[in-house]
Order: sequence, then C-alpha cells, then structure tokens
Amino acid sequence: MSAEIYGSLIISILSASLPLTMPILFASVGEVYAEKSGVLNMGIEGVMGLSALVSLWVTFSTGSYLLGLVTAIIAGAAVGILHSFATVRIGINQLIAGLVIYGLAGGIADFAYRILTEHSFPVVHPLQPVSIPTLSTLPILGPILFSQNILVYASFAVALILGLILYRTTWGLKIRAVGENPEAADAAGINVNLVRHLCVILGASLAGVAGASLVIGYLGLYNAGDTLVAGRGWIAIVVVIFARWSPYKAIAGSWLFGLGYAIAAVFIGSGLFSFLGGGGGYFLLSIPYIFAIVFILVFHRGTKSPSSLTVQYKRK
Amino acid sequence: MGVLVTGSFGSVFLTTETFVLMAPLLLAALAFLVAFRARFYNIGVEGQLYIGALFAYLVGSRLSSFPSAIAIIVVVLASAAGGTLWLALPLIMRIKLQVNEIFPTLVLNFVALDVVNWLTAGPLKDPNTINLQTPFLPKSTWLPVLIQGTRFNLGIIIALLAALGVYVVMYKTVIGYEIRASGSNPRTAQAGGISVSRSILVVGLMSGGLAGLAGMVVVSGAQHILAQNLSPGYGYMGISVAALGAFHPIGSLISSILYSALSIGGESLQSSAAAIPIELTYVLQGTIVLSILIIQKWLSDRQSRKG
Repeated sequence: MSAEIYGSLIISILSASLPLTMPILFASVGEVYAEKSGVLNMGIEGVMGLSALVSLWVTFSTGSYLLGLVTAIIAGAAVGILHSFATVRIGINQLIAGLVIYGLAGGIADFAYRILTEHSFPVVHPLQPVSIPTLSTLPILGPILFSQNILVYASFAVALILGLILYRTTWGLKIRAVGENPEAADAAGINVNLVRHLCVILGASLAGVAGASLVIGYLGLYNAGDTLVAGRGWIAIVVVIFARWSPYKAIAGSWLFGLGYAIAAVFIGSGLFSFLGGGGGYFLLSIPYIFAIVFILVFHRGTKSPSSLTVQYKRK
Repeated sequence: MGVLVTGSFGSVFLTTETFVLMAPLLLAALAFLVAFRARFYNIGVEGQLYIGALFAYLVGSRLSSFPSAIAIIVVVLASAAGGTLWLALPLIMRIKLQVNEIFPTLVLNFVALDVVNWLTAGPLKDPNTINLQTPFLPKSTWLPVLIQGTRFNLGIIIALLAALGVYVVMYKTVIGYEIRASGSNPRTAQAGGISVSRSILVVGLMSGGLAGLAGMVVVSGAQHILAQNLSPGYGYMGISVAALGAFHPIGSLISSILYSALSIGGESLQSSAAAIPIELTYVLQGTIVLSILIIQKWLSDRQSRKG
C-alpha cells in the first residue's frame, strides 16, 4: 500500500471518530455538572436509551428532527427529576438509585419499542454533514473537522460553553461550592438542594441529547436490549473521572474513546484478527473497555472527586 | 393480578421454575451485599457471573469420564474461582492503589460478555446449530434434578446454603464483625485495630466466588450449555434484590423469591391470553423497587427525626 492510501485511511478514521465522540461528550459533560454539585448519576446509560427511542419515534412520526431532539431532552429531564427526587430529596443511595433507574428507563424504552414495531419499522435518515464554507476546503483538517453534522459541532460548543460557565461565572462558583463544601455554601446563602436538583436535571437532559444524537445524528434507528447505546453511558462516566471533572478535559477524554471506536471499526472490517476465529469481532468490541481500564490505571493518581459526591445534604 | 399469582405459584411446574430463577438471583444478590457491607461496591457481578459460567462449562465439558459427584464438586470450585479471578484486578487496584472499584468492576462486565460472545460464536460454538451456543455438557456433570419432571435442581440448594453461610459469616464470626465495622465506619474500625484492607480482601474473594456460583447454577443447573445472553442481567437485578432485602442475606432470600415469582408470573402472562410483554415486567420491577426504597428511607428518616 502506498503512503497516499495510508494517509486517506488515517483521515477517514479521524473524520469518523468525531461523530463517535459526540454522544459520549454530551453525556460526560452533563455528568460533570451532576457530579460537580455532589450527585452521582449512574443511570445515564438508561436515559440515553430512552431518549434515543423517543427521538426516533417522534422524528419518524412527525418528520421533525428538532421536535425529536426536544422531546428527547424532555424525556431525559423527566428521568433526571426522578433521580434527583430519589437522591437529593429522599436521600437513597445514589449508586443504587442510579442503577435501578438505568433498568427502569431501559425497560420503558424497550417496551415502547416493542409496541412501536408491531405495525412499522421506524428508521430516520441521520442528519447530513454541513460543510463550513472555506474551512471545509482546508487540506486534512477540512474533511476531519469541518464536514460534520450540526450535532457534532454542537457537542463541542456545549462542552466549551459549560466549561466557561463552570469556571468563569458565579453560577459555576455556586455549583462547585455546593459539591465541595455544602455546609459553607448553605451558610453563604446558597440553596444547596436546589442547585443539586438543577444540575442533575441538566445532566440528564444532556444525556437525553446524547441519546438523540446517536439516532438522529448517527445511526437513524433503535435496537432493543441496550445494544444501541451499548455502554456509551458507562464510558461517559469513566470519561468524567479521566477528565477530572472538567468539561474541557472531557472533550479530550471523549475523543480518545471516539477514536478507539473508529479504530476498532476499521480492524473489525479488515480481517486482521481472523486468527481469533469466528466471532472475533466480539472480542474487538472490548477494546474501548480495556482502554477505559488502562485509563483509570494510568490517570487515577491525583484525581480527587468533589468532596461531597454521593453524600446527601441535610440541614442541621 | 390473578394471572400473575397463579402464574408463579399456580402449578408445581411454575412454582419450581420460580425457584430455578431464584438461585442465580439470590447468589448475585449475596455477591453484591457481602461486598456492600464492607463498602466495597462490586458492580461487576454480571461479568463475574459470565466468567463463572464459562469456567463451569470449560471444566465440566472435560470431566465426562469422572464420577458425577467428583465432577460436580470440581465444577462448583472452578466457577467460584473464575468469578473471583474476574474480580481480582479491581480488588488489587482498590487495595494497593486506592482506585475506586466501581468503574473497573463495571467496565469488566462488558469485557466478560464480549469474551463469552466471542467463544460461543467461534472456538466453542456447536457446529450443528445456528444458535450461538456450545454443545451440551456431559450429563454426569449436570447438577442433579431433585423433583422429577421439573428443573428443580441442586443449584437451588446451593443458593440457599450460600445465604445461610453468608448469614453465619457476617453475624456469627469475628471476621464478619470486622467486615460490618469496616463498612459502617472505616475510620473508627481502623482506630480500633481492624484492618479495613483485610476486610475488603475477604469480602472481595467471597463476592467474586458467589457471583461465579451464580453463573454455574445457570449453566450446570438449568441450561446445560454455554449460550450468548445466558443471563438477562442477573448481576444487575441482584443489586435491586439486595437493596430490597435491606442488604441482609435472609432479607435477600425473601426478596429474591418475590422477584422471581414476579418474573415467572410475568412470563406466563406473556404466553397467556393477556399477552403482557416481558419488558413491562422489568418496568414494573424497577418501579416497585424504587418505590419501596423511597418509602423505606422516608419512613426511617421520619422515625429518626421523631426519636
């Protein structure tokens, strides 16, 4: 193979990595907000599945991508309200609540999908790439960065904006104070539990966007049994740790996983691993997860989660 | 509702099926709760269950020439070892590097699933069927059926004994006391001369082993093959079951029976005229678990405010 073919292969891998980064990025930035305020939401894998189904259903039956996105956000927010009620208001173990909600949201999505597919097979065309004038004609960078669909651009914009809000505004300061030292935040007049409710709902809404982006921005369909989201929600939670609870670093973390998925896809297609016998493709699907474990091993030093993460705040 | 009750307890066959389902659920719940009591969050029960099932199959399929009793004992031990092996890395990471176990255990679930998916589609696949599964295990390595004409097998007794064993270890032994002390207040425990790391090591070994047994009762007790999707998520359901049972072995025994009865009832609903899809049963279970947890917590908070 000539150098030129390798070059175009690398460009197509990098170009394919960004749509694969998008859902992980939306979800991990949302989770950063929830965890920064002190609430772990382990249910986002389920939220993504439910929102994916909702966005598919609505987009398929109305033809409106915007409506599909908005209803997916509403579905995500609804699950977020349930989680924040159970954990912030009532105070049940955040880990347990999140895992139960994961099963519940996923079950609702699969149930709805079964009913929906009795009479039709819903698919939508994923959003088309939007080439940015001039920039998209740049060599190498053009096809990689500036010929993506609008949700891909949006995911990076959302991460940057939420990073700015978290580190440069009083809102962000309040959120960080609530997560690090809720007693002091309360003494300073901040409504601790209100901030937490809002952050959990925002985080779940973004997981909703993540689920919708998988459907209307990437695959155009839904698969039952958590095979559509297929672990991206869990990966997003790993990215939050890798990113040390920073929306900016979440961009890098999500992209590394997006790249891992893109490389795995090429390998699966290449037959390079045929020595594994039939079904070797399954084994390669583990690559992102093995990545994740190596990440944790390498980057765990110096990671410090928000001090009050998973601890309910009760006024004395 | 009537169909749900007669569906799960209505006939001998369906009643025994409730217990067949209870066995892996109870073992998974025990695996989660022993670790939880020492504040070691083993979210990886599902993956350890799959590796336990794989070990049970790999060992069982090679023991056809051995006497049944010996083969079964070896299979049981191998599956427990397999589950523990799959928890070893997160356990070492936690004890030696202070890395939180939640993410390593969770992520390894997917790797375990992929390994079993790969083997059942490739090297271990039964060439005589299009299903992604292995050939049957030799009959001598099956857990013996205890009620003729049903699938009520030794695995159910193993699960019940495990619940009793966990109860005795947790509440009647010194190490059990140390585990509970390490979990309820690690600092005080450490100050009192209890090694929290040792407690975590002990619960880690127990938890992985119990999860491996959960996989073994599915493969050697009920299905007799290693198949893709051999577990519909027992490892995750076990967390709900343990939470419903207040993280107590006997409480979990009761909640695992209720949970299985609801599932078997749901399945017979699906096949009855009412035709309620199985997904709705999952939704129902999630709703019930969440409601009970919320009510439980709300009541106990109200009581402690009054007291």
